[in-house]
Amino acid sequence: MGKECDMKSRKIGLHQFMAVPAFALYAVFFIYPLIKGIGLCFTDWDGIKAAHFVGLKNFIDFFHDQRALSDIKTTVLFTLGSAPLLNIVGLLYALLMNSDFKGKSIARMCIYMPAIISPLIMGYIWYFLLQPGRGFLYYFFEGLGHPEWFGNWMGSYGSALLVIILVNVWQYAGMTMVIYLAGLQGISKELYEAATIDGARWIDSFLHVTMPLLGPSIRINVITNIIGSLSVFDIVMSLTGGGPGYQTETLSIYIMRMCYGSKTGYSVAVAIILFLIVLVPVAASSWLMRKKEED
Amino acid sequence: MRRKKVTALFLAAVMTAGILTGCGDAAGQPVKDNGAGTQAQDDAGAQDKQEAAQKTDSGEKVNIKLFTGKIETIDVMNEIIDDFNKSQDRITVEQEYQKDASNIIKVKFASGEVPDIMTTYEQGFVDEGKYMDISDQSAWWDRMSPDMKAACTDVKTGKTYRVCTNMTMAGFFYNKEMFNELGIAEFPDQWDEFEAMLTKIKTEKPDVVPWFIFGSEAWHLGHLIEFIPHGYVKSELGTIEAKKAMLENRQEELKFGDSDGPMAVFATRMKALQDKGLINEDVLTATNDNCVQDFVSGKTAMFSNGMWAISSVLEASPEMADKIGFAPYPAYMPGSSPVVLSAEDSGYAISATTEHKEECIEFMNFLFLPENQQKYCEVAKAPSAFQDVTANWAPEAVADEVAAALENAVNIGYTNEKPAGFSGDDAGRMLQGLFAGQYTPEQFAQAYADAWNDGI
Repeated sequence: MGKECDMKSRKIGLHQFMAVPAFALYAVFFIYPLIKGIGLCFTDWDGIKAAHFVGLKNFIDFFHDQRALSDIKTTVLFTLGSAPLLNIVGLLYALLMNSDFKGKSIARMCIYMPAIISPLIMGYIWYFLLQPGRGFLYYFFEGLGHPEWFGNWMGSYGSALLVIILVNVWQYAGMTMVIYLAGLQGISKELYEAATIDGARWIDSFLHVTMPLLGPSIRINVITNIIGSLSVFDIVMSLTGGGPGYQTETLSIYIMRMCYGSKTGYSVAVAIILFLIVLVPVAASSWLMRKKEED
Repeated sequence: MRRKKVTALFLAAVMTAGILTGCGDAAGQPVKDNGAGTQAQDDAGAQDKQEAAQKTDSGEKVNIKLFTGKIETIDVMNEIIDDFNKSQDRITVEQEYQKDASNIIKVKFASGEVPDIMTTYEQGFVDEGKYMDISDQSAWWDRMSPDMKAACTDVKTGKTYRVCTNMTMAGFFYNKEMFNELGIAEFPDQWDEFEAMLTKIKTEKPDVVPWFIFGSEAWHLGHLIEFIPHGYVKSELGTIEAKKAMLENRQEELKFGDSDGPMAVFATRMKALQDKGLINEDVLTATNDNCVQDFVSGKTAMFSNGMWAISSVLEASPEMADKIGFAPYPAYMPGSSPVVLSAEDSGYAISATTEHKEECIEFMNFLFLPENQQKYCEVAKAPSAFQDVTANWAPEAVADEVAAALENAVNIGYTNEKPAGFSGDDAGRMLQGLFAGQYTPEQFAQAYADAWNDGI
């Protein structure tokens, strides 16, 4: 017994040693910048001159900055549109892929492929598809004899935001699908058979067998989609550049622009605020779902 | 078991050391804290210089890093650098290009990885003493045109920290052939006449966009502000006084927020053109490439840009060489004069902390040789700032048009004295907002003044 315990603790020790390189990377690229960033957010550092301690000024300024507040609104609206849609579309794709039909592997590849293309490139592709008067879709509608059906969808706030949401969903629904598909394939077929014998319809099986057992997959997808949507950057940058004006600018783009716009200390403070903004819904949804699973 | 544990520990240590090696700076020194470490950097710089002097004395080869953001001259610079490297065996120059050079250089300064020579230049770095004072390099300044020497001089200190080898101009490029067809003999120099001309183009050629603005690219809109309302301020106050007024943020002279000031009037004029359909409908989504395509295919009559646009127009259609006209920006404020940008281009600054000052100067002497500058001008499509360099930088017809424009308008320079926190792109995005209906002209002017004050 004692020998077994000794072996076990030695094994754990060995594993800890092997984790050192990974931890070193984590410490250098995450913990160190985080600590350094927390220090910088209380300064007026502009990236050029020496930094001076300014206390909470950067945080106070943030709540008086109309552009920043408008960016929060845009980021939250984007998340409210994107995160639920990603989950719904991803789940529908997964249900489809979990059923039997011909050409399933090709369909799966087509759905997943956008996710492996850089979002920046994806944004530019969609830009050239949607460009008013010049894009592929304009010529398509013109070919149908109805060029007026094609509007300047990237020229105004509402439509530009909608386009960004839809492109984001189109790109990342495949990723969400993969996680749901793994969850679906882990559910025993016997449970469905038992439900059918008990007279359950498809919708009953879905609501009372599939959904409860997909709990862990839902949790992962909800959390990752909220994080991804609240910190969205590249797809907006390539599609609208945050424009027209600053109308579709998200908080991540704002942080980047402030950082290089000689307000480095302030940008770090905004990054910390964004971290808290992400933390709140993620913690809340995680807690709610865990509570539901326990119940 | 013990041997296994020791091996694991050793491997883990080696891997950790290997990974962390990449995190240090190239010189093998700890990354310097730019936030509060200016003094420490200076001390380290002095030590580096001593070591460098020892290295040079011992005949060791010196490496010089040249940092640039100018994509159009990469090849010609590599050619010149190659010639220099072959011409002697003590110094090797290496060129590094970064697309986002003006931002990347900030990271380089912050991390202590400062290049020896750089083409990026910012007032903030001048104020912090990051560039070497090269006022004493009379061999360069004696060859330079007085206007360009003045443009290279820092207004605050009266010293020079960079050499600009070229000049660039910006104004309206127009289709001369189309103008002849329409019977437009002269490009107007007053805004009302200019607007009447755009209306005439629209009326007589409904399929042609009178003025193409590629507003999806914020820098282009930023340039319109830079050249038109800022141009007015510079033409009224004079180049040096305008620079001082901007540096000291003398709003009573700049009048950016005034409802009848340069910004509000400019915004009113631009909005009127948009409302009357005298600019392209897709102003918010059009790109530079769209502009070039439409210009060479006769779908647009004119666009605003700098000399750098010539190469892409001629690449798209070489037969445009004889059809390109060039004109100054018409006067848009009451009693003002037309303006044209005539500014410094291709500037080189030496780092104040370089270990190889003499070698940098030796390389720049080579780079500034008339035969090298001739090559450079012809690729960069920009005339030389050196008076002893003659180059065919543009088709003769275009060069003549440019010379005439410079004669007939107030020559203005770039606004290097903008607040560090309010870039040309930021200004351009505000103009996007105006075109998108986000501001009235008065709100635009006020928002511009606020952003300017906030960026100080």
